[in-house]
Amino acid sequence: MSAVPIRLALVGNPNCGKTSLFNRLTGARAKVANYPGVTVERRSGMVTALENPAELVDLPGTYSLFVTSPDEQVARDVILGQLAGERRPDLLVAVVDACNLRLGLRLVLELRSLNRPMVLALNQMDEARRRGISINTAALSQAIGIPIIETVAVNSQGVTELRKVLDSYAQQPPIPNGEQVLTLSDRQESVEALYDQIESLIKQHVIQPAEFPRWQDRLDAVVMHPVLGLVVLFTTLLVIFQAVFAWATPAVDLIDGAFAALGEGVAGTLPDGILKDFIVDGLIAGVGGVLVFLPQILILFLFILILEDTGYLTRAAFLLDRPMRELGLSGRSFIPLLSSFACAVPGIMATRTIADPRERFITIMVAPLMTCSARLPVYALIIAAFIPQQTVWGIFNLQGLTLFVLYFAGVVSAALIAWFMRRRAAREEFPLLLELPSYRWPMAYHLLIGLRERAWIFLRRVGTIILALSIVLWFLATFPGAPEGATQPAIDYSFAGQLGHFMQPLFAPLGFNWQMCIALIPAMGAREVAVSALATVYAVGEESIDAALGATLAASWSLPVAYAYLAWFVYAPQCISTIAVVKRETNSAKATTFFTIYLFALAYFAAWATYQIASAIVN
Amino acid sequence: MNTAIPTAAITSGLRLDQCAKGANVRVVNLIEQPLFGAQDEHVSLRLKELGFLPGAPLKVIGFGLLGADPLAVQVNGTKFALRRAEAAKICVEPISI
Ligand SMILES: Nc1nc2c(ncn2[C@@H]2O[C@H](COP(=O)(O)OP(=O)(O)OP(=O)(O)O)[C@@H](O)[C@H]2O)c(=O)[nH]1
Ligand SMILES: [Mg+2]
Repeated sequence: MSAVPIRLALVGNPNCGKTSLFNRLTGARAKVANYPGVTVERRSGMVTALENPAELVDLPGTYSLFVTSPDEQVARDVILGQLAGERRPDLLVAVVDACNLRLGLRLVLELRSLNRPMVLALNQMDEARRRGISINTAALSQAIGIPIIETVAVNSQGVTELRKVLDSYAQQPPIPNGEQVLTLSDRQESVEALYDQIESLIKQHVIQPAEFPRWQDRLDAVVMHPVLGLVVLFTTLLVIFQAVFAWATPAVDLIDGAFAALGEGVAGTLPDGILKDFIVDGLIAGVGGVLVFLPQILILFLFILILEDTGYLTRAAFLLDRPMRELGLSGRSFIPLLSSFACAVPGIMATRTIADPRERFITIMVAPLMTCSARLPVYALIIAAFIPQQTVWGIFNLQGLTLFVLYFAGVVSAALIAWFMRRRAAREEFPLLLELPSYRWPMAYHLLIGLRERAWIFLRRVGTIILALSIVLWFLATFPGAPEGATQPAIDYSFAGQLGHFMQPLFAPLGFNWQMCIALIPAMGAREVAVSALATVYAVGEESIDAALGATLAASWSLPVAYAYLAWFVYAPQCISTIAVVKRETNSAKATTFFTIYLFALAYFAAWATYQIASAIVN
Repeated sequence: MNTAIPTAAITSGLRLDQCAKGANVRVVNLIEQPLFGAQDEHVSLRLKELGFLPGAPLKVIGFGLLGADPLAVQVNGTKFALRRAEAAKICVEPISI
């Protein structure tokens, strides 16, 4: 048994099931979805249930070792062992989608020319059998000289056998052969020769029906239809926004009620004093104020997960490619931008799938304008407080519609900014070449895992950063207490009150009061905290705690101010983690500074304009 | 790379971007596309790696809204979205089925 674990790497085309296998083999829960380019960074884990230790690295998918985008580059660097401080993998675990045999085998044969130990997992065998594809695995394995294991990564068929094979390698690590270097002339030579080889392999060992499943083509005829397709796309988006508001209401009311009861219960049992104030105003008001948005966030994610798992996203990218190109973006920027609705951080990471550096830069710059889920609580709170619950045009819920407008404002602004940033100078074109994967029925298992993950992330944020910021804010809002014979409310004398009053003149043109200014600061850490900060500041300031935060805001803000605050959040406060990931992905201090300043300036301007215009209309 | 246009392309003269929806065609060869500049050769190779090789049967399955761009093409049972720029690199001939 070797002391140093053997190092294995999963290599294969995008979307062939590498990460699904990785999750099966290591027990990890890395993100799996039905579109190419889900994994953009390497990730490693130890293979479980092996006699001998083995470290497995999951890689981004690639069609070829001659790479065109940053995510493919990551795969190449790991495969060839070109990363400083990382050992070259001892064994390559090639993954091939059995329904997409030619493309997969091509990469395998290219990898074979590296002369490195390799095994092949022939994945998605369930789907292949369903389509009537029959493969003589033993003969194919013999012909290419690589062990082949048939697998179904989604239900762990064949994974035990794969483990056994890996274990045998782990027990007796393969001896590295001489390294093979790849050059461009190899590539030119190999492309056609490899396909000739593949054709003859397939002719001998594979029986493949010529037909693509009919229902898939019929679905594509609608979904990718130039007009119908766009109708489908916009209807889907509208339904999502309606659902986030309409379906979440009962659950939101339930959580809201529970926290109100808890607050009252605690207020009734604890003796008056600092501890009671802390628990009721600091903890329950602050944390409860954010927790209430869990149902809405989960509904949003449920829809995103369904879209990701069906394979629809690349079709949307196909439809939007041309319009987006007018803005200096392309269909390839669609998925990173869509991911940014969940959170800008993975969205910005996903831009690694974009080959054109200029387009990638623009996508990174505008990604935070897509309304991330952390902003949802802020929007939801203010909408619920200021926009009446009513039905317009027969079917639309006015609150849902307002939310749609806010999201839309972000998208339109992103489009305008991308358009401004597009260089007028002629530049090289980059090809689209986007694979459109087969549709798949979304798997309940993936949805549940995905939702659990999101709920957990949200609860962890609530339990850590949001809780901590709420506590700090409560202290700042409570101490120092009012001096003897004070005329103002006590909170005006506290640190938070002083800071708020200090900031307020800067934000006066936007109509913000000092409580709103205070809430902007912790929102830089996590945007949801704007809500808990407002809850805490108003709860400490108020004498009674029974008024819900929404009602308090409705009583103390004017409508133009509420709109201006919303406008601020459409653009602003990119959280610290977004700024950090921009720094890492652009690797440029200048770009990061530009990014930060332009978004702040935009937020200030948008809030100012909104306030001035809304005030003029109201008066 | 030698990119002289072979006779087959000149005689049939049909390129993938000129095909109608539903057309079944076969790749004849790949030609140069000045839009891609210095990268053109890499684009050709990537197209070939994805299966757009002489002899490969293609099926045009759809177009985008503006300027019928991009187009969706099925090759070897895999669907790809290509822009007109890429499609114009691919010379094809109709096949009857
Ligand atoms: N039916 C079936 N589906 C599978 C199988 N393995 C993976 N999938 C599905 O294929 C899709 C892609 O799986 P991933 O594991 O994300 O693929 P990947 O190779 O990591 O993809 P990238 O990270 O984008 O390169 C998902 O929708 C999976 O559910 C399988 O054995 N059978
Ligand atoms: Mg993956």
